[in-house]
Formats: sequence, structure tokens, C-alpha cells
Amino acid sequence: MNPRRPGFRQSARIALEDVRLSTALESATGRFRSARETAIAEFPGVEDLRDHFKHIREATVKDLGRHLRIFEESASAAGAQVHFAEDAAAAREVILDIVRKNGVKLVTKSKSMATEEIRLNHALEDAGIRAVETDLGEWIVQLAEEPPSHIIAPAIHKTKEQVAELFSAESGSGVASEISELTTHARLRLRELFLSAGVGISGGNIAVAETGSVVLVTNEGNGRMVTSLPRVHIALIGIEKVAPTWHDAGVWLALLARSATGQPLSIYTSVITGPKRSGDIDGPEEVHIVFLDNGRSRLLNTQYEEILQCIRCGACLNICPVYRVSGGHAYCGEDGEQSPYSGPIGAVVAPLLFGLDNFKALPQASTLCGACRDVCPARIDLPRMLLALRMDSVEAGLVKPLEAALERTTARVFSNEQLFEIAARFGRIGQRFLRVDLPEIAPRSFRKWWAEEGK
Amino acid sequence: MTADEKHSAFFNRLDEHARPASIPAFWKSIRRFDDRIARFRESQEAVKGRVIDVQGLGKAFQVIADVLAEISASRVVLNDEAPLDMFREADFNGVQFNRLADFRGDPAGWQTVCERADAGITSAEALLAETGTVICSSGPGKSRLVSLLPPVHIVICPVERFTTDIFTWLEARDGVWPANTVLISGPSKTADIEQTMSVGMHGPKKLVVIIYGEGDAKGER
Repeated sequence: MNPRRPGFRQSARIALEDVRLSTALESATGRFRSARETAIAEFPGVEDLRDHFKHIREATVKDLGRHLRIFEESASAAGAQVHFAEDAAAAREVILDIVRKNGVKLVTKSKSMATEEIRLNHALEDAGIRAVETDLGEWIVQLAEEPPSHIIAPAIHKTKEQVAELFSAESGSGVASEISELTTHARLRLRELFLSAGVGISGGNIAVAETGSVVLVTNEGNGRMVTSLPRVHIALIGIEKVAPTWHDAGVWLALLARSATGQPLSIYTSVITGPKRSGDIDGPEEVHIVFLDNGRSRLLNTQYEEILQCIRCGACLNICPVYRVSGGHAYCGEDGEQSPYSGPIGAVVAPLLFGLDNFKALPQASTLCGACRDVCPARIDLPRMLLALRMDSVEAGLVKPLEAALERTTARVFSNEQLFEIAARFGRIGQRFLRVDLPEIAPRSFRKWWAEEGK
Repeated sequence: MTADEKHSAFFNRLDEHARPASIPAFWKSIRRFDDRIARFRESQEAVKGRVIDVQGLGKAFQVIADVLAEISASRVVLNDEAPLDMFREADFNGVQFNRLADFRGDPAGWQTVCERADAGITSAEALLAETGTVICSSGPGKSRLVSLLPPVHIVICPVERFTTDIFTWLEARDGVWPANTVLISGPSKTADIEQTMSVGMHGPKKLVVIIYGEGDAKGER
């Protein structure tokens, strides 16, 4: 396990000094950004589509209970078993129970942030069950015993040489550091496991209420393997990921991949509606869908409800000037606990779901530039909630007294013309003695300039 | 707490704050493509898929023979669906065909032949022009492993099954959903190592879509 890094500031500093990491981050997020821009621009009426989607998400989240009940009914009718877990512990228990009942010792997993959130792999390991991540990036970080550093590109921080080392250690034989060699190696190695696992665990991008279907998107095809080959399939899904109808799910799909990777659709969009039917030759005999609350219902009807409209596309990570230099691993609590969600979405959701006390530094990790709001397919006002969380921190006394006093003073000075002029005068003199690389304070304030020359 | 009590406690937390809201009417697709095959091909080729359009089913089968020869396939798995039922194995010398129809009641045996096959051939229930998407469902005669386990997936589909995009497809589709439907928009790929594109991760490394028509080859209805 990596040494635990305390707090955002400390771990961001470590990331900033890592030249290789920052190069990888900038190139990867840059690629995602331009691909997204192209894919969004190519879709006629995309701004209307986003408004439409916002409306869908807003209305769905307002009435989650109703849509989840409809899902439960339709999924049960299709032969699936639906479970509802209040918190991480309850979700782990439900899943462990199913795995144990089936006497299974090997589980294959497709990428799921929700399973990261409940630390499922550790729970399975503790119970003597081997859980193998099968998304290439997730498998790499699992072998490295690290958490994922990006929602959709978990191993963004690894070089091919590092990957070759990990694969060689795992297989006990040398693997060359060519990318094609590495993917072929992973294909063969993981194929054996796909074929022998007794349970497949996935997340779910969308839960479609009207038909009780789980929608899962992947590019590699591991999502299809995990939901087609093992005898039992378990999907863990946050309660907010429900779409009332297929019309709504269609809009969701049209925006998801475009926002995430800039693809019009991911390579595979799987729709799973219950276990195999009579007449089907293959497919799981049992399908379980576990809905996870874990603090989400607490946000309903509060100023933070809007965050439940998120579809975890990762567009806000790629655009964020803070994420782009700090990377996903920097988003951790004061005690070093890693948040599975990073970037602007992580900075809002981690304090709300896992505690503001521990994650108080994350809402500060933003310039409030608003770029995240501009790219969000659901037009979530992330900066508004980052500010609100900062206010909550002050009210809860989580900000150091000196820092709070300084900020209060600054606010007073900046909002008062005379005080501002006096401060600027002192600043101009004081600046001469400071050895800090900052632009010089203008000889004349804007107000003065306007009064004298403007109009 | 009993399971029932837990269930109602779970929903009580949600219902406490419920504010009934109406979901907006559905999104009507505004996309139009003059040449749907061209758009489909463009989308597929962008992700290294291959699209071949021909006149007539006989010609389509001939193309399958060419593709199989090209990849030196000796073992092929086949779904038991139209138009594959018209397939005459005699036309393909030296290729061993395993048909789903011969494996009813033997899922383990079927999985093994799929795992060992050089190519899997299926049809598709719909083609989405916009995204270059092939839609395959599970059901009687339709295995999900044929399009998943072999290194090459060949799709043979009549041009009439073209539709514009996901919205027009969803609007037109009716009936219950099968246990599994997959929208396939290219061969399997990954960019997880150094953001470098690599085709053929877990699913098929090659995807060949053969579209056949009788009249208009442009894919217009």
C-alpha cells in the first residue's frame, strides 16, 4: 500500500513535484477535452439536449422513491433480485452474502466507482474471496495496490514500463514494455479468469425503471464478459442513477460517452434485463441489483440535491485547472483516506457523503473558474456548491481561527472603497520589500482611473 | 430489523423529501443522413471497424467466405438466426462450422467452441447510422458469446434494418426487452496504458459488418 498522504495540500504538493505524473495528466486530460469538444460540437441541437437532460435529472432526483419502486417491480418481473443498502456496510453484507451462498472463491469485476466507494475488494479479500478487476486500467492499479486516479482512466499515472513490471511480477515471467504486448498479456491472463469466475460484479451506468434494466458501458468488453459468463451477476448502483424511461436513458447515453471520452457511444453498451430466459443458451442464472444510498438520501431537498444529478462522466475532471495538475490521488481526507471521486465532482461529493470534517480541504481545491459547470452534461452548478461547502466549513468551525480572521478582514477591506485604497497604498510600498513573484499593484486603482479618464 | 422493515425504512428516507415532478416529453431526433451507409462506415472506420455493403444475400455470403479466408479461419461459430439459416456450409471448404442449433442443452460445450473459434457470425436487429452501431440481442437461437469470445465478429444484416440513431431506434422498438441487448460500435479497444489506443482488449479484435440490400445500396428507405 502507498504511504497514506495526509490532506489535499500535502498530497497535491507531492503530485506537483512529480514531473512524469503532470506530463501524463496534461496529455490525457488534454486529449479527453478536445475529443469531448469535437463530439459535442458535432451533435446538432446539443445545447437543447443538455437542457432537456438537466430537466430529466432534476425531476427524477426529486422523486427518487417512486422511480426506484417502479424499477424494483419491473426488474423483479424480469426475474432479477433487487436489494436496497442503506450504507456501505449494508451493501458489502448483501454482496458477500450472495457470493458466499454460491460457494464462490473467484469474482471478476468490471469497473465500478460504487464498489470503490464501499471498499468492496477489501471486504471480499477479508472473507477469503479473490476479486479481480478486469478493466485494464483498474487491473493495473489493483496490482499496484493503489486507488484509481481518474474516474474513466484509472491508471492515468502509470507508464508502460511500470505496467510491464507489475505484469511480470504478477505472472512470474517477463513481459515486454510494448503496449501491444501488455494488452495481449492482459487479454490472455484475464480471459482465463473470466471463464472460471463464479460471480461477476459490475456497477451500472443507468438503471432504467420502466423495464428494470441495468445499462453498462465499456470499451474493452470486460463489462460484457463479467455480465455474461459467470453464473451470478451482481450490479451495485447508486440510487441516483435511475432513468424513468428508455426515452430518458437514450438522452443519457447520447451525452455520457460524448462528455466522457468524446465518443458518440462507447464501444459496448450492454442492457441487462434479468437473468437468462428459457431458450437462452448463455447468460447468468441469477441477477442481483444492489442500490446504494450511503448518504445520498441525506442530500435530498437541500441545497446539495443537485449533485445527485451527476452521471460520473469525468468531464469536470478533465477541464479543472486544479485536477489537471494535482491528479486524482490528491483528493484525500485529513486522515489520508482516499476519495474514490476526484476533481470538482469529488470536491463536492466526498465531503457530503464521507464527512466535511475529514474532507474539508477539498472544496478549497478549486479556483471557482466555473469551467466544470460549463462542460457538465447535466449543467450541475458545481461552483455554487463548492462555495456553500466553504461556508459550511466556516460555520462548523473547521477553518483555523487565524485564517478565518484574515479572510474576514480581507472581505471587509475589499468591500469598502476607502479601506481598499489605503490597503493598496500600503501594498505598493510593502511589495518592494517582498521577494514574491507577483504582478505589481497598479499605481492607480481602477476606480481612480475610471474617475479621471473613463466615461 | 426485518428485511421488510429495512425496505420501508430505506424508502421512507426517500419519500420524506419527495416532490412529484413531471418528466419532460421525449427527445425527438433531429438528425438526418442523406447516405446512412456512408455515415455508418465513417463512424466504424474511425474506431477501426470494417463495413462492406453488397447487393444480395448470395454476394454477402461470398464476402463472408473472403473474410474467413483472409483471416485463415478454420473454426467458426454461428448463431441460429435469419439470414444465417440460409448459410450453406458446402460453400466454405476447410472451415469447421459450429451452429448454435446443434448445442441446445449443452451450454458448457457451446462456451468451449465459442472460446476456441476463430470467428463468430451473427445478424443484428438494428443498425444505427449515426454512431456506426450494431445491435444484437440474446434469445432463442441468439447466443451472446458468439459476438464476444472469438477474436473476430462478423455481422451480416439486411439494409432495411438501418435506423438513424439511438432515438429513432428506441422510438420504433416495442415489446419486452430480452435478458441481454448489446449496442456494439466497433471492435474492443482500450487506451488505459499511456492513453495509447490499442484495439482488441477483451472482446473481438476485428469487427466486420456486411450490409446487404436488394435494391437501393445507399441504405435509403
